[in-house]
Amino acid sequence: MSPVRSAYIHIPFCRRRCYYCDFPVSVVGDKPPGGSGAQINGSNSGTIAQYVQVLCQEIRQYVSSGELLQTVFFGGGTPSLLSVEQLNQILTALDQQFGIATDAEISMEIDPATFDLAQVKGYKAAGVNRVSLGVQAFQPELLQVAGRSHTVADILMAVDLIQQAGFTNLSLDLISGLPHQTLEQWEESLEQAIALSPTHLSCYDLIVEAGTPFSRQYKLGNTPLPSDEMAAEMYRTAQRLLAANKFEHYEISNYAKPGYQCQHNRVYWKNRPFYGFGMGATSYLYGERFARPRKTWEYYEWVKQEGRREKAVGEDERVRSQTRVGKPALDLLDTLMLGLRLAEGLDMAWLIEQFGEEAIARLWKCLQPYLQDGLVAIVPAPKDDQLPTSSHLRLTDPEGFLLSNVVLTTIFEEFE
Amino acid sequence: MTDVPVSRIRNFSIIAHIDHGKSTLADRLLQATGTVDAREMKEQFLDNMDLERERGITIKLQAARMNYTAQDGQHYVLNLIDTPGHVDFSYEVSRSLAACEGALLVVDASQGVEAQTLANVYLALEHNLEIIPVLNKIDLPGAEPDRVKQEIEDIVGLDCSQAILASAKEGIGIPEILESIVHLVPPPQDTVSQPLRALIFDSYYDPYRGVIVYFRVMDGKVKQGDRVRLMASRKEYQIDELGVLSPNQVRVDELHAGEVGYIAAAIKAVEDARVGDTITLATAPAPEPLPGYVEAKPMVFCGLFPTDADQFEDLREALEKLKLSDAALNYEPETSSAMGFGFRCGFLGLLHMEIVQERLEREYNLDLITTAPSVVYRVTTLKGEVLYIDNPSKLPDPQHREKMEEPYVQVDIITPETYVGTLMELAQSRRGVFKDMKYLTTERTTLIYELPLAEVATDFFDQMKSRSRGYASMEYQLIGYRENPLVKLDIMINGDPVDPLATIVHRDKAYSVGRALTEKLKELIPRHQFKIPIQAAIGAKVIASEHIPALRKDVLAKCYGGDISRKKKLLQKQAKGKKRMKSIGTVDVPQEAFMAVLKLDS
Repeated sequence: MSPVRSAYIHIPFCRRRCYYCDFPVSVVGDKPPGGSGAQINGSNSGTIAQYVQVLCQEIRQYVSSGELLQTVFFGGGTPSLLSVEQLNQILTALDQQFGIATDAEISMEIDPATFDLAQVKGYKAAGVNRVSLGVQAFQPELLQVAGRSHTVADILMAVDLIQQAGFTNLSLDLISGLPHQTLEQWEESLEQAIALSPTHLSCYDLIVEAGTPFSRQYKLGNTPLPSDEMAAEMYRTAQRLLAANKFEHYEISNYAKPGYQCQHNRVYWKNRPFYGFGMGATSYLYGERFARPRKTWEYYEWVKQEGRREKAVGEDERVRSQTRVGKPALDLLDTLMLGLRLAEGLDMAWLIEQFGEEAIARLWKCLQPYLQDGLVAIVPAPKDDQLPTSSHLRLTDPEGFLLSNVVLTTIFEEFE
Repeated sequence: MTDVPVSRIRNFSIIAHIDHGKSTLADRLLQATGTVDAREMKEQFLDNMDLERERGITIKLQAARMNYTAQDGQHYVLNLIDTPGHVDFSYEVSRSLAACEGALLVVDASQGVEAQTLANVYLALEHNLEIIPVLNKIDLPGAEPDRVKQEIEDIVGLDCSQAILASAKEGIGIPEILESIVHLVPPPQDTVSQPLRALIFDSYYDPYRGVIVYFRVMDGKVKQGDRVRLMASRKEYQIDELGVLSPNQVRVDELHAGEVGYIAAAIKAVEDARVGDTITLATAPAPEPLPGYVEAKPMVFCGLFPTDADQFEDLREALEKLKLSDAALNYEPETSSAMGFGFRCGFLGLLHMEIVQERLEREYNLDLITTAPSVVYRVTTLKGEVLYIDNPSKLPDPQHREKMEEPYVQVDIITPETYVGTLMELAQSRRGVFKDMKYLTTERTTLIYELPLAEVATDFFDQMKSRSRGYASMEYQLIGYRENPLVKLDIMINGDPVDPLATIVHRDKAYSVGRALTEKLKELIPRHQFKIPIQAAIGAKVIASEHIPALRKDVLAKCYGGDISRKKKLLQKQAKGKKRMKSIGTVDVPQEAFMAVLKLDS
């Protein structure tokens, strides 16, 4: 197995479900604010504690590939519903099982109004060095429309607490294209976010996923959702405004101050392997993506089974990888679909080395129309018509990013 | 198979509406006579094709020979000749009926007489068949045998005092039906001594034995090894195999007047042994063929194009093979500037078209674009030539046309009285000319309209069904050509005329059709990177226009570890969809768009 240096941990608890969310989460309800983390999570401590126990059990069923973890990411759900103690349990399990590098990036998603100063200090002491705060918008009416359980004041308070706790690496999440959202409101959100001096920003154009309250509410044709034209304009606005404030647009939806790109997420886009632990989490081992059960009891059952078989090493992934025959074209598609999300794009020489000159020549040929109309760029531009072997292939910003599916669909059509 | 005198043969068919229980009744008769025992009984033995089973209708007719010992102690041979149950195949029905002396008229005791049934009853009466009314599904709580009897008497004029009350499902009335067949259906005429004349009522293609021909011997006799001549196709064959259908094929040495059987004679295609043709002996031919033979004429035409140009040869081969088993299918190569190479195909009707299309896609694995169906227009040019135009793009320009005529049909609709208003509205909106309305009973009426076939060949049937919640039924027959002010409506996508989208419409409807069609296309054609104008025009004059706005964003905002597999599937689906589209210039057009004219809300 190629070295695995990243782990994703899913914490599936939320106070309530946001209207756009299709993640596997378990809703635990609103808690009185204030007090220690343990108090906040008081009535659910049983549920969460049990989950943490099973999660640690799952972690201990794996053996290391021999590499220390360079990135750990707590995602959710709302990982800030974990007590400091629970977080420590998980990090300890990871460290004992795989070892965590001293300079590892340890990220945690947290939500406003779910933590106090003691708690966030505790997270920092436990080793978390990057926090990603779920802001989404700075307008009370939009927070309400999105089904968020916090206020604008909660956002400002949360940033203050995070900074007091000594965190220097802070990311904020924003959503554009929300129902009823105007371009002015979007600009305002961006400006307010910039004013809080984050090192990183994720700006997501709303995706109305099937099965979410949004998808039931907003059927095509009759919707307060901004038009595609408007959503595209919001995207361009973010790109322009953030560039002016020295953020690099390093991925379709992500911006960072120099040196602050999210190392964990880059692992996904570079199509490198990672562990995934917890209900609904996906791992990518032995070249296989494996999604864990999305229901709590099914996940518990699955962990138990895995333990009983005493087959420790990502057995599901390993078995699946053995049954598959070579699918180089599919790996190429994964690589392109992910790699082209990054502004740096993909190195032609590396592509040729990985997938052979014939496949890459085919790719080059089917991309010609997009090189012509400016959705795709090759840098530096080759001098002749030959297959460029020492340039980077990338989507242009913003137009290539905005129409990335058009380019990808053409590539999929060519190779499938 | 025992030799049986002509006097103890009974040939009959079953006339019934879809769902009124014909197939179940046939199954019961086969069981009751011990022709097929319960163990080998497949549900609904007579419906062989998958497509028929799925749709619950009989397209291909079949036959079965039953041995029956009647209450008088005599042994009889009963031949059941099945009939197809759809208006597209009324000629085949007429040939099947011509092979019989009697018919069971099966009517659902809770429903009543339907249009198709009525049409077939009249056909049977024309052939002087003895008709035995059977009220089926008598066991159902909603059964109203007295009302339905009255209805049959009123509508058909048949005496129903002796009507048999039956439930094919429960086996009720089966012995009575068998006895009635023996006593009421007359035996065939004994013409064994005359020269052989046998009526072909069905045939199918068997890849190992060639065409298998089903026939009824009308006069004379035929023996294994005889050299026979088909009087219409003028072809001669040596009989390899002669047999009866019980209902599986069983070989016999000889069949004589009144009997029903099959032959295999290395016949290459069903068009060499068409339904209605007469088989006679090559050595001692009959002077005259049997009456009633008509070569099937296609009524509806459409273009079939492979989505992938590389599949053109595969499509040609598939059509050649289908033609072996389907004499009514017509095709010739067609080239379209928008679509490339394909075929112009002619069909008996819309159902026939759908069947062929589905078989091509299912059995031959072809990805096809079907253009909207067109009828055959009769155009007289200024020079006095009469042209038959089955493709709107081939229509001569107005300045060369003296007149233009279109085929009309008489449509008989039987409906519960409640839906009369909405159905009249439908017929009216389809340029229908009201002819008559008759009350069959106090609740049921028959509506008679004359309509342009072009209007019936779109979604008329579906509309009739949906407006009447499935209760109305219809039947139509061609009544000739009529002159109308017709215009050709051209469609331009991104400035280029797309000939397969061209359609012929009445001048008064051109604007509304043009508007509805451009709107529909706007809905069906996906956004591209550029703005796409869609226009409808008569000659050089644009009468409706829309545009598809340019695609502004198509991006997956989030793609992290857990999203990858799902997002990839999304892209795969999108790529697959795009592959199935037809590129017209720089615009990718999905298959549904070519049928858009059938799905207008007007």
